[in-house]
Amino acid sequence: MTGPGTDPALTGAGRPKPDRMETASQTIAGQNMAEPAHESSTEAGPTPAGRPPAVAIHGLRKTLITGFRRRRVEILRGVDLTVGDGEVFGLLGPNGAGKTTTLKVALGLMRPSAGSVSLGVDGAGEIGYLPENPYFYDYLTGRELLRFCARLFALPDDVREERVERALDQVGLADAGGKQLRKYSKGMLQRIGIAQALINDPRLVFLDEPMTGLDPVGRLEVKRIIEQLGADGRTVVFNSHILSDVAELCSRIGIMGGGVVLWQGKVSEATPSHGDGLEDFFMEIVLGSEAAGELSASSCSTREADS
Amino acid sequence: MNGTLAVAGNTFRETIRDRILLVVVLFALGMIVAGVWLASISLGQQGRLMEDFGLVAVSGFGVIVGVFVAAGLVHKEVDKRTVFVLFSKPLGRGQFIAGKFAGLAGTMSLVLAGMAVFLFLVAWLVSGAASGWLLVAGVLIYLQVLVVMAVTIMFSTFTSPILAAVLGICVFVAGQLSHNVLSLTRLGHSAVLDGLSWLVYLLVPNFSAVNLSAVVVGEQRPDWAAIAGWGGYLVAYLILMLAVATLVFRRKEF
Repeated sequence: MTGPGTDPALTGAGRPKPDRMETASQTIAGQNMAEPAHESSTEAGPTPAGRPPAVAIHGLRKTLITGFRRRRVEILRGVDLTVGDGEVFGLLGPNGAGKTTTLKVALGLMRPSAGSVSLGVDGAGEIGYLPENPYFYDYLTGRELLRFCARLFALPDDVREERVERALDQVGLADAGGKQLRKYSKGMLQRIGIAQALINDPRLVFLDEPMTGLDPVGRLEVKRIIEQLGADGRTVVFNSHILSDVAELCSRIGIMGGGVVLWQGKVSEATPSHGDGLEDFFMEIVLGSEAAGELSASSCSTREADS
Repeated sequence: MNGTLAVAGNTFRETIRDRILLVVVLFALGMIVAGVWLASISLGQQGRLMEDFGLVAVSGFGVIVGVFVAAGLVHKEVDKRTVFVLFSKPLGRGQFIAGKFAGLAGTMSLVLAGMAVFLFLVAWLVSGAASGWLLVAGVLIYLQVLVVMAVTIMFSTFTSPILAAVLGICVFVAGQLSHNVLSLTRLGHSAVLDGLSWLVYLLVPNFSAVNLSAVVVGEQRPDWAAIAGWGGYLVAYLILMLAVATLVFRRKEF
């Protein structure tokens, strides 16, 4: 893992993108590769030719052993997913589909049972992550939390202070930065969570349910932040159940169900009528796969959009 | 190193804001009451009794506070899921364990220093003189508390906080009695018993190598070489415990 970049701008417009061919990709590989990854022709959106995708997941499986009787539970059953460099990618799916587990494996919080994850960044210093329903140290103030997170990236003192103030400003918490987190509302906690995910000026951002618990104003602010990140050329991968937000923000989406990716492709392919039909499309894919028995262990497959 | 220092600073702040330093105030009140009581029953030996009793109290308070806080340090981060935020950043599991330990060690240094200084003052007030060895004993008790904290953190990486705390206290008590365990081997009744005694003696930290109370009250001359050797042994033991804790914690998934 190498340190983060030294660009002090958090989301400076027109920020030059480093040439990723010169950086080593971060790869997490499963121990058991006996089962081959599914053949996939996943084509990411705007990744320029020759550049590796921001996220490339192949044949990812995750089995947990739970309970006294050591029951094996297959959480992921062969996930194939590709996110292009600079894309805003929405990961959809019903509860228990495996979205959060996929992100956790990609981030190294869990080990894959089989398959591989390759991230087109130079280590954790270039990754930002907002967990689902985040909890932070409630004895810290918002500003102290961001300083603590910035110290984990070994940022120099002057850069650290600038980033902290920018991040607070960006999520609309500049006035509440001196308040202890135990006094924050759920929406404020969600926003400070986004601020800590951006403190290192990341090139790849994972946001797990970033809109959860936000009021309409907070939701709008988070949407603007995601839009800005996309406009700056950063790759954003986020999970959400709010399909209208996904249709509005994402260039591509993936729909998961039963531990596999059921469909991935451009939003425009899923919603020919300008995003109005994403809900119907989502239901069609999820219910259709259940009806067809695609969620059984023997027939997990990935359906691709015609591109 | 940056990550370790950041986690240590955060842990120090957490424990200070949890008002752990109130323990020193409790200790001070306890010592005042004990001082008055001992003065009434000790027939001219108040100072000596005060020092002896005070060292046991410093050690007991230090171990209980250190163990119970250490037992919850790692578990709380996992339970509250703050580890998601930490380990998605460039922070290694070893750095995390070392940082948590160092932060609590910083807080406990204040707790132990406060208690040792107060004991010195009370002993001096009660008898008109106090051994400077009290403060040296305070440092050595601090080292023992650090070892018990490291053992507790190690246990807490694979058991519940309550069980880790109980095991930590058991190890402390066993460590105080380790010379007795060794003496079992000299009886020579059974090879199996001998083997088991040696195993326990090697696994449990030896807290009885130097008799601190005897040095403080002037019954024994201090042996600097033995004290330095013992200090080195305790430091090596706690590093070993933290290494084991890291190995176990590395296998954890969140």
